[in-house]
Amino acid sequence: MSDPVPLTTDPGQVASATPPAPGRSRRLSDRGLAVAFISPALLLLLAMSVFPLLWALYLSFTDYSATRGGPARFVGFGNYTAILTSAQVHQRALTTLIYVVGAVTLQTVLGFAIAYLISRRTHGRGVLTTLFLVPMMLSPVVVGLFWRFMLDAQFGVINSLLGSIGLGQVEWLTRQRTALISLIVVDTWQWTPFIMLIALAGLTAVPKYLYEAASIDRASEWFRFRTITLPLVWPLLLIAVLFRAIEAFRLFDLVYILTNGGPGVSTETLSFHVYKVAFLGFNTGTASAYGILMVLVVIVLTQLYLRYLNKLKEG
Amino acid sequence: MAVSVDEAVSTVPARDRPRPTRRLGGRGRSLVEVALLTVLAVLMLFPVLWMIETSIKENRDVYAVPAEFFGFTVTMEHFKDVFVGPDGGRSALSVAFLNSAVVAGVSTLLATVLGVPAAWAYSRFAVKARKDQLFFILSTRFMPPVVVVIPIFLMYRQVGLIDSKLGLILIYTAFNVPFTIWMMKGFVDEVPAEYEDAAMLDGYTRLQAFRRFTLPLLVPGIAATAVFALIFSWNEFVFAIFLTSSDSVRTAPPAIAGLIGGTTTDWGLVAAASVVFALPVLVFAYLVRKHLVAGVTLGAVRR
Amino acid sequence: MRYQQRIGRMSVPGRKVRLATAAMLVATTMAACGDGQDDGAQVSAPKAPATIPELTTDPLTLSFIWFDWPPAQALEDFANAEYKKERPNATIKVNTVPNANWHDAMFTQFAARKTDFDIAILDSQHIGEAVTNGNILDITDFVKNNIDVTAYNPYLLAAYGQFPQAETGQRDENARLYGLPLLGDTWTMIYRKDLIGDQPPQTWDEMISVAEKCQADNPGVSGLAFHQANGSDAAAVTYNTVNGVYGGNLWDPKTRKIEGVLNDAAGQEAMDVLVNRMKPLTAKGSGNWFIDEVNAAVAQGKACIAFNWIAASGGLLDPKQSTLGTTREQILDKLGFATLPSQKTNLVPLGGMGMHVSAYSAEANQAEALNFMKWFERADIQKKWAAAGGVPARTDALESPEFLNAGPFNQVYADSVPRMRDMWNVPEYARLVDIENTNVNAALNGAKSPKDALDDIAKEQQAVLDSSNRRGGGGL
Repeated sequence: MSDPVPLTTDPGQVASATPPAPGRSRRLSDRGLAVAFISPALLLLLAMSVFPLLWALYLSFTDYSATRGGPARFVGFGNYTAILTSAQVHQRALTTLIYVVGAVTLQTVLGFAIAYLISRRTHGRGVLTTLFLVPMMLSPVVVGLFWRFMLDAQFGVINSLLGSIGLGQVEWLTRQRTALISLIVVDTWQWTPFIMLIALAGLTAVPKYLYEAASIDRASEWFRFRTITLPLVWPLLLIAVLFRAIEAFRLFDLVYILTNGGPGVSTETLSFHVYKVAFLGFNTGTASAYGILMVLVVIVLTQLYLRYLNKLKEG
Repeated sequence: MAVSVDEAVSTVPARDRPRPTRRLGGRGRSLVEVALLTVLAVLMLFPVLWMIETSIKENRDVYAVPAEFFGFTVTMEHFKDVFVGPDGGRSALSVAFLNSAVVAGVSTLLATVLGVPAAWAYSRFAVKARKDQLFFILSTRFMPPVVVVIPIFLMYRQVGLIDSKLGLILIYTAFNVPFTIWMMKGFVDEVPAEYEDAAMLDGYTRLQAFRRFTLPLLVPGIAATAVFALIFSWNEFVFAIFLTSSDSVRTAPPAIAGLIGGTTTDWGLVAAASVVFALPVLVFAYLVRKHLVAGVTLGAVRR
Repeated sequence: MRYQQRIGRMSVPGRKVRLATAAMLVATTMAACGDGQDDGAQVSAPKAPATIPELTTDPLTLSFIWFDWPPAQALEDFANAEYKKERPNATIKVNTVPNANWHDAMFTQFAARKTDFDIAILDSQHIGEAVTNGNILDITDFVKNNIDVTAYNPYLLAAYGQFPQAETGQRDENARLYGLPLLGDTWTMIYRKDLIGDQPPQTWDEMISVAEKCQADNPGVSGLAFHQANGSDAAAVTYNTVNGVYGGNLWDPKTRKIEGVLNDAAGQEAMDVLVNRMKPLTAKGSGNWFIDEVNAAVAQGKACIAFNWIAASGGLLDPKQSTLGTTREQILDKLGFATLPSQKTNLVPLGGMGMHVSAYSAEANQAEALNFMKWFERADIQKKWAAAGGVPARTDALESPEFLNAGPFNQVYADSVPRMRDMWNVPEYARLVDIENTNVNAALNGAKSPKDALDDIAKEQQAVLDSSNRRGGGGL
C-alpha cells in the first residue's frame, strides 16, 4: 500500500535492463527482431492515423467536397483564415473552453475529495472504490441517453425529486445556461471516478512515516494536508487533469445525444461543429482544416501531458 | 495511507492532557466523513439504480409523476424485447450486440498480437529514438475521433471498407495498439531481462527465450490490457455511427442511440438495453480492478 | 506543412520525416486520383431505362433505407406479403437508421459511391442534393412509359420527384423526375375533445385562445405541444408552418433571395406568434421536443392541442402506451384529429417521402427497383397499401374507403393535399435547415430574440446560397 508510485515514463530508464550485447551478430539479429516486432504496429499506425491526417492536411488547402465531386481547387490558406476569423468558430471555442474548464475543475475537486475520504477509511475501501467506478465504465451513449431521460423537465426523476422537496421545475436541457451546466454535470458524473482513482493511487502512496513525524510535531490536520499530502499527490493529479482535459476537448458523443448542441447552438463544442461542417454540407476541405487546427491543440495538450509525466518521474 | 487521529493518539499514550473531547471530535469527524461518503456514493450510483429500476417498470409507470421508486409492477418484458424481435425472431438489438462482440473481440485480438511484441521490443532493445517513437505512438491515440473520421471515411470509400465490420475492426485496432504498447511495456519492464539472458546462455535464441520464459509471465498483464481494449471497442460510438449504416454491421452503441427519435420512445427498452450492454463491461472491469489505474491512463501511470 | 514539421519534431529522426513526406505524396496522388474519378462522373443524375429491363429469376433482395419508425416496418411487411405474390424470388429489406442520422447515413453512402440500399427513401427536400451529385437515377422516361401521371394530384408527383422544384401546388411537366411518392404525410392537429369540445378551432388565432383557456381551466395540462427540437427538421417545420399560415414566404426561388423575403413583415409576425403567443402555452422544458415527446405528452393527457405528423400518430391509439383509455374507442372519445387551422392562408406543411433509385446499386437491383415502383403505384396496390396503414398518393386511393376508414386521421390527410407547401429542395438543404432549426430553437428557448433569430436565419441562409464561389471556408 505504501509503495511509492513507479512511473514508466522514460523509456530510456529501462535501457539499463538491456544487457550489453555479447557479439556483433547477436546485436544484428536483435535489431532484426526489433524491426520485425515493431514495424507491423507502426505500419498500422502510419496507415490508419498518420496517412489519413496527411490526407486531411492536403485537403485542408482545397475546397474539396466528398459528395459534390469535381476537381478540388487549391485555396491556399483560405480555409484556415476563414475558420480562425469566423465568429461562429469563436463562439464554439468559448463554449468548449467553458465546458472543459468547468467539467475538469469540478471532477478534480470532487474526485480528490472522494479519494481523500476513502483513503481515510480502513475498512471497505475496495468495495467503495469499485462502486464509485461504475459510471466511468459505461458507454457515453448509455450515459447520454439516460441522463437525457432523467433530466427531462416534465417526467424526469431529477425534477420529480426537486418537486418533492418543494422546488420548482428546472429546464435542464433547454435553457442556455442550464444546458451547458447539465453537460458539465453529466461529464462530471461520469469522469469524477477517473480522477478519484488516480488521486487514490497517489494518496495511498504517501509514506506513513511522514504523517507520523508530523503528528509528533503536533501539526494541524490542515497543515499536514497542505504540506505533506497535497505536494505529494499533486503531480499525479496533474496528469489526471491533463488527461481529462484532452478527453473533454475531444468530446462529441455526449453532446450529440444529450443536447444535440441546443438550445440553439449554445452547447455546440468544436468537435460537434466540425461534424456539422463535415457531414451536413460535406464541406470536406473546410472540415479538414478545422480538424487539423483541433489536432494542433490536442498535440500541444499532449506535449504538456507527456512533459509532466517526465517531470513527475524525475521529481 | 493517511493516519486517523485516533491512531495517532494511541501511538503516543503518554500524553498528560485530557483527551476525551478531542477523541470525541475525532469520532464525530469520522462520522461526518462516513456520512459524506455515503451521500456521494448514493449520488454517483443513483442514476445506475434508476436505470435498472426503469428497465423493470411497465411503460405507463416510467412516465409517472411524481416518480415511483417502490411499489410498481415488475416486468421482464423489456429484457425480452432486447433479444426477441416483434415478429418472434431475433431482434435488431441482439444482432447489434453480436456485431459489437465480433468487432470488439477481433480488434482486441489484433491489437494484442500487434502490440505485445512491439511492447517487448521497445522494452528490451535499444531502439533508435525510442522515446520519440513511444510518444508519437501515444499521441496518435489522442486524435479527436470526429476529426479522424473524415479522412478515414475518404480512405475507406476508396478501398470499399465503408459499412463493413472489417473497417470498424481496423480503426479500433489502430486506436488500441498505442494503448496496448504503453500498457504492456510497463508489464514487460517488470519482468527482469536476466531471465531471457539466462535462457539464451542455455542456447535458446532471443525469440525462443521471449516465447518460453517471458511470455508466460506476461499473461496476466496481457489479459488486463486486452480487457481495456475490449471495453474501448465495445463502448465506441463516433466511428460506429459515421462508418456503418446497415443492420447487419451496426454495433450496439448506435443501435441503442437509435431507440430514441422514432415516433414513441420506449424508455423501458432503452434502459433494459443499456443494462444488458453495460453488464459485460462491469464484469470485465471488476476482473481487472487491480490494473485500473494503468488501464485508464493508457498505461502511463502505474501502481 | 506546419503539421508535418511538428510530426518531425516529435518523432525526430530524419528518416521519419522522409517517410512522412513519402506518405504525404502518396496521399496527394491518391486524393488527386479520387478527384480524377469524380471528374469523370456525371454531374447530373444518370438516366434509368425507359422500359423495365428483363428481371432476374434468381433470388434477389431489394433493399430500402429509411429511418426507424413504424411505417418502415409496415412497408417491409406489406411488400414482403404482396410483392412476393408477383415476384416470388424477391425479398424486401428496409434498413433503418436513427432519425437524427438519416440524412448523414444516406449521403455518406452516396458519397462513398457504394450503397447497401437500392431504393433510398429520401425526404422531398433531399432531392436537390442527390440529383446534383448524381446519386439517384433520372426516371423521367420511365415515368412517361409506365406511370399514369394523371392519376395524381400534380403537386404530390412533383414534390417527391421533380427537380428543380415546382411552384407550390403545381408540377412542371417539362422538368425531370427523380422519384415517385411512397408515403404521403402532413401535420394534423390533435385536440382533446373532452377538454375543448368536439369542434376544432378554425383559425390560428382561435386555436391559440382555445389553448389558452384550456390550459387555464385544466391545471397540469398545457395548452399546446409541437416540435421545437434543433435536430432533423423539427423546429424549422414548425416555423415554416406558422410562416405559411401567416402569409409569409421561405424564399424567392427565381432570384434565390431569402434575405428580405423570409424576414419580411409576414415572416416577423409569424415568428412573433410562434415565440410570444404559442410558446408560452407549451410545457416547461418542451424546447427539445420532437415527434416522440409530443406523442408522449398527448398519450399522458398533458396537452390540449398538439401538432404532429400523421404518419407518426398511429401510436396514440395504442391503449398500452396511453393513459387516455383502455381501448382504442375510449381513446378516440377523447382525441380528435383535424386539419390545421388557417389564418391568412390555409397552407399546411408537406411531409412524407418518395422512392429514389440509387445510382450505385447493381443493374439487376435497379431493374427490380423500377419494377417495384411501377407495381407500387398501381391503383389496386395503392389501396392495399392504404389498408395496410400506409398513406397513398394516387387520388383514387386517397378517396377510397380503404384509406379513409383505415385511421381517424386519414380524412385529415385527404383534405390537406390541396393545401400543401414544401421547403426548398436545393442541394444546400441540409445546411439551410440546420441554420433554421438552431435559430428557431434558440428563439423558442430564449437564447435569441425572435427578431434577431429570424434576421440571422435570413442572413446565414442567404450566405449559404451565395457561397458557391467563395474561396475557402465553405460550410462555416
